Amino acid sequence: MKAFSKLLISDLKQFFRDRTALFFTFAFPIIFIFIFGWVFTGSGSVSYDIGLVKNEGSTVGEKISQMLHQIPIFETSEGEFEDKLKELEGGDLRAVVVIPDDIDTYIISGQTAEIEVYYDPAQTTSAQIILPVLRQSIDEVNRQITQQPILLHLTEKSIQAHDLRDIDYLVPGILAMSILFLGLFGSIVLVERREKKILKRFGATPLNRSTMVFSQVAYRLILALVQTLIIIGIAYLVFNVQMVGNWFLLLGLVMLGTLTFISIGYFAVARAKTTEGAMPIIQIIQFPMLFLSGIFFPVDFMPDFMRPIIAIIPLTYLGDAFRQVMVEATPLYPMSLNIAILGAWLVICMILAIKLFRWE
Amino acid sequence: MTTKTEKEISTPVINVEHLAKSYGDINAVDDISFQVMPGEAFGMLGPNGAGKTTTVEIIEGLRTADSGRVSVLGLDVAIVPVKIKQRIGIQLQAPSLLPLVTVQEIIELFAGFYKRSIPADDILDMLALKDSRKVLVKNLSGGQQQRLSVAMALINDPDIAFLDEPTTGLDPQARRSLWSVIEDMRRKGKTVFLTTHYMEEAERLCDRVAIIDHGQIIAMDSPRELINTHFKESAIQFELNPAPPEVILQSFPGATQVIISDSEIIVYSDNIPATMSSILKYAEKVNLTEQLKDLYVREATLEDVFLKLTGRKIRE
Repeated sequence: MKAFSKLLISDLKQFFRDRTALFFTFAFPIIFIFIFGWVFTGSGSVSYDIGLVKNEGSTVGEKISQMLHQIPIFETSEGEFEDKLKELEGGDLRAVVVIPDDIDTYIISGQTAEIEVYYDPAQTTSAQIILPVLRQSIDEVNRQITQQPILLHLTEKSIQAHDLRDIDYLVPGILAMSILFLGLFGSIVLVERREKKILKRFGATPLNRSTMVFSQVAYRLILALVQTLIIIGIAYLVFNVQMVGNWFLLLGLVMLGTLTFISIGYFAVARAKTTEGAMPIIQIIQFPMLFLSGIFFPVDFMPDFMRPIIAIIPLTYLGDAFRQVMVEATPLYPMSLNIAILGAWLVICMILAIKLFRWE
Repeated sequence: MTTKTEKEISTPVINVEHLAKSYGDINAVDDISFQVMPGEAFGMLGPNGAGKTTTVEIIEGLRTADSGRVSVLGLDVAIVPVKIKQRIGIQLQAPSLLPLVTVQEIIELFAGFYKRSIPADDILDMLALKDSRKVLVKNLSGGQQQRLSVAMALINDPDIAFLDEPTTGLDPQARRSLWSVIEDMRRKGKTVFLTTHYMEEAERLCDRVAIIDHGQIIAMDSPRELINTHFKESAIQFELNPAPPEVILQSFPGATQVIISDSEIIVYSDNIPATMSSILKYAEKVNLTEQLKDLYVREATLEDVFLKLTGRKIRE
């Protein structure tokens, strides 16, 4: 017990003397929150520049023009076709709507008039956001002209108790990412100490290996809890992301996640001879997890063959569990499944690490 | 209690029987047997790669032997390594220190691993580290790190201290101050197990020396006895370029053995005046008197014993 607490205190002291470690553990996730926070909270003022080409005297043209001006995400400007097309090509406009000169004549005679929209498919937002909004607006004008009654109306009802903003989705993801880093990089310390023969020096004393490993794990758990409080604190104070769930469940998940990633890390570098050899192994594990786990963006668009990978990586489950408990996001999996899969990873990797780890 | 102490004095604290260890095709330790008595300063002397460190680390319980038996303080190393580690102090060849802790912190950390330890202050005093107690390990000089590494081996007031090349890389002054620490330990009746490739160090510090080469002990005795057994003669050492043919040197009166490495020549002789004059005459005859340098006569040393037994210098 004396050896355990001395090692733990010594490791904490060393951590606070190591500026690189301090930065990556505390500053890095906070910087992440700020960057994402600013990017996503700014989304309310985003607008798209739209060009409109129409005949001045046209009644229908005027109606469409009014409609477009009312749409908050559009900044509509009128002008000649040639000029507007040039602006679109130059990237100053996202789309150009062209209303035919004789549109009134068409409508009076009951014929369908063609309204053309020019857009640049290279600008992905044009297709994804602008075109559907335009389509809807033209439909609305169409309905007003034809005076057809509204028979079907769609009312949108959120199943969330409160609306989830992007930042709400992200903060649990950033916490999961931090836990991933903290856990996986724990193994690098061990490899470094093995390489520098510090493990051998410890082995020359009566200190037993399990005490040494347990103190390392306890040290990581303490860092994980401090990190969690900092991330949640910053997210609440700066971006008003409220932690709505059960604190005990959250802290339990933080510890489970940390233990899981520590054991994955220890297993992964069990045979790595040097720190330089261990780093790429850790990165190969870490990067696919970051992008395939859905902690930063939903993974719905991933191709089918990726599904089994997504369904097996532990970060998917930690991220989902954090989102459920922190911001009450809709569960992807039941909480018990999240915990069970993380637990399975923990146990399997721990056994493999114990079997495979080389102390010298 | 008294009877136990008496018994310990009469039995060896280290007993090595037919120890062997190989790495692939290389027999790092090849059937080694020896004993170390309580209070003895025992030296293991040999060139790099001779098997010194492997032998020591098996005795310390850090490596396992392929065959043979090792007991330390009456306990079998293969069975109760932890119990033994409580009572021995180990200094590894590489300093192996945590970079971001202070001198005092690392001493206290390691003290926490043992049931028994001496105060950090005493240890720091003993190794002249008191002034740098608050310095981070990474900011210590090489010599300070080496001394700290020895300090860590003494923190549990060990019955046996294992020091693996403790003075390698130290400047002469630091080496001498470490020697006085080891001499202190001998006075206190501690057993010291030392490996070194410095002959002078072994001669000065050790009661008994085992000379090891290619994993085998080729000679073992007190430094004085080793020299007396192998040399009735003294050594004449000089430099001459080009070196005379060995046959000619061998034919000089009194010469018993000749060793030539590059331009450095040692002629062992039981008739110094006769051999010396032959050397001078030879130099004159071949017109190389100008080239004859650093000629001196000295008593044989352990280095000479090693040279005689292996035909090689120890640091080659």
